[in-house]
Amino acid sequence: MQAPNIQPPSAIERREFGFILFKERMMMRHKSFRNPVDLQQYLVITAPSDTYFSAAYYDRPEESMENKGWIGADLIFDIDADHIETNCKIEHDLWVCQSCGTLGKGHQPASCPKCGAQKFEERSWLCETCLEAAKRETLKLIDILQSDFGFSDNDISVCFSGHRGYHVHIESQAVRTLDQLARKEIVDYVMGTGLNPRLHGLDERGLKKHQIVIGPDLYDPGWRGRIARGVYDFLVNIESEQFKTAHDLRKPVVDTLIEHKDLILEAWRKRAPWDAVKGLGIKTWEKVVARAITRQAVNIDTVVTTDTHRLIRLPKTLHGKTGLKATEISVKQLESFDPLSEAVAFKTGMLTVNVVEAHQFRIGNEVYGPYKEQVLELPTAAAMLLLCKKVAYIVR
Amino acid sequence: MLNTKSDLAKYSFTIEAAKYVRSLGLNFDDLGSPAYFQILDRAEKRVEEAILHGIVSGAWHNDDIEILSFPVSMILVKAAGESFLKRRYALAEAKRAYGLLKFENKEKLLAVAMGTFNWRIKSLVTTIPQIYDFAMHFADFLRNAPVFHEDKWKLVNRVMIGGEIYLSKEEVARLLQEEVQKHIQSKLEGEKEVDLPIPIRQRVERLGQLLLKHKEEIRVEELPRGITSVAFPPCVKHLYDVSIAGQHIPHVGRFALTSFLLNAGMSVDGIVKLFSTLSDFNEKMTRYQVEHIAGKRGSGTKYTSPNCDTLRTHGLCPGPNEICRGIRHPLTYYRRKLKTIKLEVGKAREQKRGRWVYST
Repeated sequence: MQAPNIQPPSAIERREFGFILFKERMMMRHKSFRNPVDLQQYLVITAPSDTYFSAAYYDRPEESMENKGWIGADLIFDIDADHIETNCKIEHDLWVCQSCGTLGKGHQPASCPKCGAQKFEERSWLCETCLEAAKRETLKLIDILQSDFGFSDNDISVCFSGHRGYHVHIESQAVRTLDQLARKEIVDYVMGTGLNPRLHGLDERGLKKHQIVIGPDLYDPGWRGRIARGVYDFLVNIESEQFKTAHDLRKPVVDTLIEHKDLILEAWRKRAPWDAVKGLGIKTWEKVVARAITRQAVNIDTVVTTDTHRLIRLPKTLHGKTGLKATEISVKQLESFDPLSEAVAFKTGMLTVNVVEAHQFRIGNEVYGPYKEQVLELPTAAAMLLLCKKVAYIVR
Repeated sequence: MLNTKSDLAKYSFTIEAAKYVRSLGLNFDDLGSPAYFQILDRAEKRVEEAILHGIVSGAWHNDDIEILSFPVSMILVKAAGESFLKRRYALAEAKRAYGLLKFENKEKLLAVAMGTFNWRIKSLVTTIPQIYDFAMHFADFLRNAPVFHEDKWKLVNRVMIGGEIYLSKEEVARLLQEEVQKHIQSKLEGEKEVDLPIPIRQRVERLGQLLLKHKEEIRVEELPRGITSVAFPPCVKHLYDVSIAGQHIPHVGRFALTSFLLNAGMSVDGIVKLFSTLSDFNEKMTRYQVEHIAGKRGSGTKYTSPNCDTLRTHGLCPGPNEICRGIRHPLTYYRRKLKTIKLEVGKAREQKRGRWVYST
C-alpha cells in the first residue's frame, strides 16, 4: 500500500536503509538500493512496519559500520513530545511494570514502586495537546535555523514523524561534513546550553556603588534578543505559580520583581530595563536570564543531532505505533498542519474491533471515545490507531 | 592577496607559497648539494625550535631561504616518523603563523583564510559595535572553534546572524592557527620520501636524538591498575552508583561510564560484571559492546570518554564540585584526585613511621 507513493531520499545509492518487520520485530540494517525502483520493489515484497534511512552518506552503505566509508551526513533534529513537559501526560500516558504488572500514570518511574523492577512497557497516547506542543517547539527551531543559522526554506524539510513528533532535516553542502563536536555545538546553541549572558551584553558599568546594569534589547538578533524577550515573558508571567516557586530565585527577589514588574516593563519601552530598580544587581539578572532562556530554547533529542550515523524514518512510510504516515510539510504550511487529518494513511473502509480501553481521540474531523470494553465498527484509520496502540484487537 | 616574497616567507604553508616553490623547479635529489646548505640549516632549525620551544621563530634574513626551508622541514619531520613530533611541529608552525597574522591588516587574513582554506568569510566595513572585524560562516567556525574551552568560543555565546558569526581580527587569527595546524598535520601524514640524500639523513638522525632527549623530560603519568572509586568525579560516581544499584542508565550514560572506566584502567570483565545487575543485562551483548568501546572489536578504535562539555549537553553532569573548577575532562579530575589521595596516603604512612615529609 505504501510503496507506490514513497519518496526516496536524495543520493539514494549512498544511504543506508533499515526496516522493522511485522513478524520478527527486529531491525534489519545495512541495506542499500541503487535506485528508487529497487527500494519500492523491496518495500512491496517485505512490507515492513517501519522504514528508515541514514542521514549519512557512505561509500559502501551495505557494509558493516566500520567499513562503510563515511562521506558526510545531513543535519537532523528530532523533536518529540516525550521531551517536552505537558500537563496532560499524567492523564493519558501509562506504564506497566513488566514483572509484576503494576500500572501507573505519566512518565515511567526509575523503578517499580511495588516490586522494584525497572522494565516497563510504556503506553503513550496520541494527544492533541502534546502534538501541538511538539509543533510549537518545531516552529521555534525553524526560527533559529532561519534567522540565526541562515538556512532557507529550501534547505529545510520538516516531517511529522507519524507519532508524537517532528523531524527537521537539513540537506546542505555547508553542513554535510561537520563532525560530532561541531554538531554538539549546534545542539547547545538551539538548547541554550552553556549560554553565558555576560557574553551577550549583560554587564555592569560604572564605579562601585554607582554601578548600573546594562543588557540586551528585545529586538537584538540571535540569543541577545531571545534573552531579552525571555526575560520580558518571564516578568509578564511572574505571578503564576510556576515562576513563584523557582528554586534558584529566593522569595524576596521574586517579591521585588513582582512589586516592580510594571516599572521594569515600562522601562523596556525606553530601552533601559536592566537598571530600572535599585537592588536588582547583575547576579540576580543572571539568575532571571537562566530561567528565562528555558522557554526560548528548543527541546530536541540531543543524541539524534550529534549522531552522524543516525537512521531516521523515511517520509511517506507508516509509523508502526499509530498507522499514521510520516508526512513531509513545507516550512510555510507547518503552522496550519493538522497531523491527525493530514497524516492519515487509511482513508477508506471500516473495521470491527474490540476495544479494551481508550482515551478520547480525533481522526480527521471525527472525535472518538473514550471507550471501555466495547465492540465497535470504526473507520480503518481510527481502528488502526487503536490496534497499533495495542488497546484493541480485531473481531473475526 | 599574498603578493610579496615576504608574505610567502611568513606564510609558507599557503597555496601561493607552494606554487612559488614549484615554479622554481627544484630537484629533490639536489637537496644534498652544498648550494642548499643554508636552506637545510634553516629547515633543521625550524624543527629544532619546535622540539625545544614549541614555536617556530618568526624572524629571518632571506625570504627565499625561509620559503624553501618550510617544505624541507616537512620532509625532515616526515622522515623522523614520530607522530609526537608531527603534532608538535604542526602546532609550532601554527603558533608562529598566529603570531604573525595577529598584526596583519584584514586583507592579508582574508587572503590566507580564503585562498588556502576556502573559508566563507568577509571583512566588515562598518563594524557593528566596533569590536567585530569579520563575519564568517558558522560551519567554518565550527570546524575549528570547538577545541577551545573558553565560554566565548561556544557557538551559543556568539553573535550569529543569517549564518554568519561576528569576530574580531585577533579571534580570526586564532581560528586560523587551528586551521594551519590541522593543515600541516594532515600533510605530514602523507607518504614519506624514500632514498633521502645523506646530508638530509644525518639531520633527521640528529633531530631524532634531540627529540628522544626532550621526550624524556615529559613525564607521562600512568594510571594505576586498580580503580579507586573515591577518586571518581561526581558525574561518573553517580553513573557508577546507579549501575551498582542495578538501576536503569540511558545509552549515552552507559557509554560515558564504560569509556571512562576503560580509560582509567578497568578490565572488560570488571565492567561486564558491573553491568550484570542491570535488569536488561545480557552478558553476550554487554561484552560485545564493552569490547567495542575498548577497541578490541570493529575498527579497533579505543574510545576516549566524553569530556565535561559533552556530558553537559546530554544532561549527565550533576553540577560541578570544588575540584571540577577549571577541569574539562572527567579523567583529568580522576588523575588529579588520585594524586591528592596518594599524597595523603603517603603522608599518613610517613607520619606513622614518626616522620613528617614536606613533599608536594
